[in-house]
Amino acid sequence: MKRETNSPPRWAERLIENMAAPHLREEILGDLFELFQKRSMRLGELPAQWLYVLDVILLIHPRLWRKNATAARLTQHSTDFSKPNPIVMLNNYIKVAFRKLNRQKSYTLINTISLSLGIACAILIFTLVRYHLSFEDFHADKDRIYRIYSELHGEKISYSTGVPNPLGQAFRAEHDVAQKVGRIAFLPKRVVSLNPQKKFEEDIAFADADFFDIFNFPLIEGDSRSVLREPNTALITKQTARKYFGNTAAVGQLLRIDDSLMVRVTGVLRDLPPNTDFHSQIFVPFVNLQDHSPWMVEKDWWMSVNKEMQCFVRLKPGVTAASVNKAVLPAISSTHYDKEMAKYFRFKLQPLSDVHFNMDLRGKVDKKNLQTFGWIGFFLVLTACVNFVNLATAQAVGRSREIGVRKALGSREGSLFWQFMIETAIIATGALVIAAGLAHLALPFVNRLFEINLSINPFQDKTLPVFLGILLIVVIFCSGAYPGLILARFQPVAALKGKLTLQTPGMFSVRRGLVIGQFAISQLLIIGTLVITSQLRYSQQADMGFQKEAVVILPIPDNQQTKIKTLGTELSRLSGIDNVTFFDTPPASDAIGSTNIQFDMRPEPEKFSISIKAADDQYVPMFKIPLIAGRNLFISDTIREYLLNETAVKALGLKTSDDALGKPATINGRRGTIVGVVKDFHFRSLRLAIEPLCLTTHSEVYNSCALKINLSYMATTIDQMKAEWTNIYPSSIFTYQFMDEDIERFYKLDNMLLRLIQAFAAVAIFVGCLGLYGLVSFMANQKTKEIGVRKVLGANTSDILWLFGKEFIRLLLIAFMLAAPLALWIMSRWLNDFAYHIVPGPGVFALALMTTFSVASITVAFRSVKASMINPIMTLRTE
Amino acid sequence: MKGTQLGEFEEVVLLSIASLWDDAYSVAVLEVLNKRLARPMSLGAVHRTMQRLEEKRLVSSRFGEASAERGGRRKRLFTVTMAGEQALRETRRVRNELWDNISETAFGN
Repeated sequence: MKRETNSPPRWAERLIENMAAPHLREEILGDLFELFQKRSMRLGELPAQWLYVLDVILLIHPRLWRKNATAARLTQHSTDFSKPNPIVMLNNYIKVAFRKLNRQKSYTLINTISLSLGIACAILIFTLVRYHLSFEDFHADKDRIYRIYSELHGEKISYSTGVPNPLGQAFRAEHDVAQKVGRIAFLPKRVVSLNPQKKFEEDIAFADADFFDIFNFPLIEGDSRSVLREPNTALITKQTARKYFGNTAAVGQLLRIDDSLMVRVTGVLRDLPPNTDFHSQIFVPFVNLQDHSPWMVEKDWWMSVNKEMQCFVRLKPGVTAASVNKAVLPAISSTHYDKEMAKYFRFKLQPLSDVHFNMDLRGKVDKKNLQTFGWIGFFLVLTACVNFVNLATAQAVGRSREIGVRKALGSREGSLFWQFMIETAIIATGALVIAAGLAHLALPFVNRLFEINLSINPFQDKTLPVFLGILLIVVIFCSGAYPGLILARFQPVAALKGKLTLQTPGMFSVRRGLVIGQFAISQLLIIGTLVITSQLRYSQQADMGFQKEAVVILPIPDNQQTKIKTLGTELSRLSGIDNVTFFDTPPASDAIGSTNIQFDMRPEPEKFSISIKAADDQYVPMFKIPLIAGRNLFISDTIREYLLNETAVKALGLKTSDDALGKPATINGRRGTIVGVVKDFHFRSLRLAIEPLCLTTHSEVYNSCALKINLSYMATTIDQMKAEWTNIYPSSIFTYQFMDEDIERFYKLDNMLLRLIQAFAAVAIFVGCLGLYGLVSFMANQKTKEIGVRKVLGANTSDILWLFGKEFIRLLLIAFMLAAPLALWIMSRWLNDFAYHIVPGPGVFALALMTTFSVASITVAFRSVKASMINPIMTLRTE
Repeated sequence: MKGTQLGEFEEVVLLSIASLWDDAYSVAVLEVLNKRLARPMSLGAVHRTMQRLEEKRLVSSRFGEASAERGGRRKRLFTVTMAGEQALRETRRVRNELWDNISETAFGN
């Protein structure tokens, strides 16, 4: 029994277990155990344990872990003769590598250029992707931060980043799951004035004090505990402070926001980092929103959702988003809405990490695009590696004698392989250095294209060196491994005789496959470029259903009716202006909400939701929106009459447009009569299908006006407009936009995507051509004698060209077979994002094929003409 | 000839192995030595010496039975080889010759 309880110290036993060589382990442990048992009988357990540890310590000696000495001696003996000293050989490898690279300059050049282009693209893409992935990753406890968003379940589900104004308060007060709840309202482009002369346009945010507890935007001046707790205070960023006040202290200064709010600066924030989607430069307490834009905070108004009125929460540790989504938020819906409306208004949590990417919720970048870039980068590096492999295998034959001699002198496959890998490593490292330089040079262009501020700084971003390291290793292995193996496997006798040719079937088919792959990648990118280009051209030139040319849009800073009236009359008096209209959104705009409609005498609201545009009577004639039934709106300041679009009529289930005329409708709770039906026009981007829409007069919400101007007097007209406008709104800043430019902005992201893909396609084609050129030169060298013999026998230049060309044409066609279906599949997935899109026709594919074909044949011809022109005497005499 | 020279400790360990005959393993050797030499020594020292002896091919080893008092582990049993016996005899011969040559008066007391 006693034996059971006594045991030696476990840790000491473990120590020996780990240290002892396997052939000694059992025996030593047994000995120690036996001694321990004996001692604990004689001396007691504790001294036995002490002695055990002492024994263990005294056992520590090289003999404890040394390998079985007899076995070790044997292996040493057998390797004494054959194992080269790796360090000494390394020297030789490097020396030989440099000599070889120096001698074959074109080979080195082609490889270095193509690798560095590929790697440069990969670096740029990596930086770009990493920049986007780093968004909002600097907040403490970011996993627990969520934004509450609204899901509006009508006939279709629509999403909004905003929530009803009282929701934040309800979440805080009624449920105990959040540590902090911060409401924030973003108001873009407000006028901030220091004095009547110094005015700036700025994005302003009205935020709860909790907002700065949730997010990590540190203060550099001011008291962090009191921020935004008092009304009429403001936090501004460092850069704004410098812009406004120069070197004088910002704290304590007064700012006027629009005409309605005076605030005192109480703190200065550190400049917002580039990787955040919060761009507001001025933060004002949420309570002040009541003074500034009372319409945004109508008390307890649960019935509307404004996308700029957002609510962020940090949950308590241990509370999961799923549980909040399942219990808490539906509970809020059901407490504050009646049964019908609770079904319509649903709220969910959106993780902070999703904010930048969720395109339904106004994310900035689609993760799909980042993935596309990732793949493109991968393919570009791959093409470069393929070049390397192709050229290197081709060159391998040229150095067969070297390999033969090395083998005869006792080189093993392993050391030959590593020798080649070192050569690859030298080229790849050189290429990496050049690539880093190229990427650095190209960065300003990428930054300008995306309007971001990326930098490549390996000291700041620790992931970049890691990425470069991994990339280098991958490139070295991808490009070096296969040719290295080929080299190492040469039969020494054949190699010494120089009898190796590329016609070994296995070798050649691999190279063929690689060329096919390269062609396929180029074609894929070309087809992508063509499809995106034509879709964007289609989107931008498509008939939107209204006139967009020669229309200028001006903002209206406040909606005081008298001022709007004066502005209207003053502007229409100008000679270069044909027409003036006031409205809340231009005909095509992404910023449009939707609401419910109750038609005629029907008891229930309709299942679908309808978008609403407020505009005066001039809107329809000015944008030349065709009326298909009834008449235009009459002049009015309040909602009296409605115009519907065709889709709305169809959605109401009416047979003809005339059926709608004269019927009453309640839209967004306001009753009016339907007086006309307009032809469908695209009131959002072509990505989205046309949905039900109504137009009505409602002068309270007008915030822009549009002017049809005569383009021949544009400059003077705009000056006159500015003068009139500033007269009426002296405290605001005059800006204007052309309507067609505004519409182009819908496709800004797509345009960026296109530019990048174009650039990448160009790189891919160029790299592919370099490889092709190298390959053909090599083939020409191999076939010098064949060409000579053929010429002697009467072949002319075109025959010789055909000799080279036919192989490549075949490969090109096979590549096309692979690329075309893949491209079709990928591009139709992209096109499906657009409700109105082109169908890529055979023309696109033919053009892609033609492009690669012509580029490839120019490359091939360029080299093979040279080969075919050589006088056969020169080549045949070399024997 | 390398391997035939025996160190002092090697010699006593080898002798103990020989004297233990059929049950010569490290703990037993340790106990014999503790009793005879009356000086503290560690298991590690004995172990290393026995490994060295085996490398010199003066002893050979095999695994014995597993037993409960060793926690179910086997012991390594050593036997003196021919070469070991030779070495012991050689040492003894040298010692004896040296003793024989000592005259009675040599110690001078």
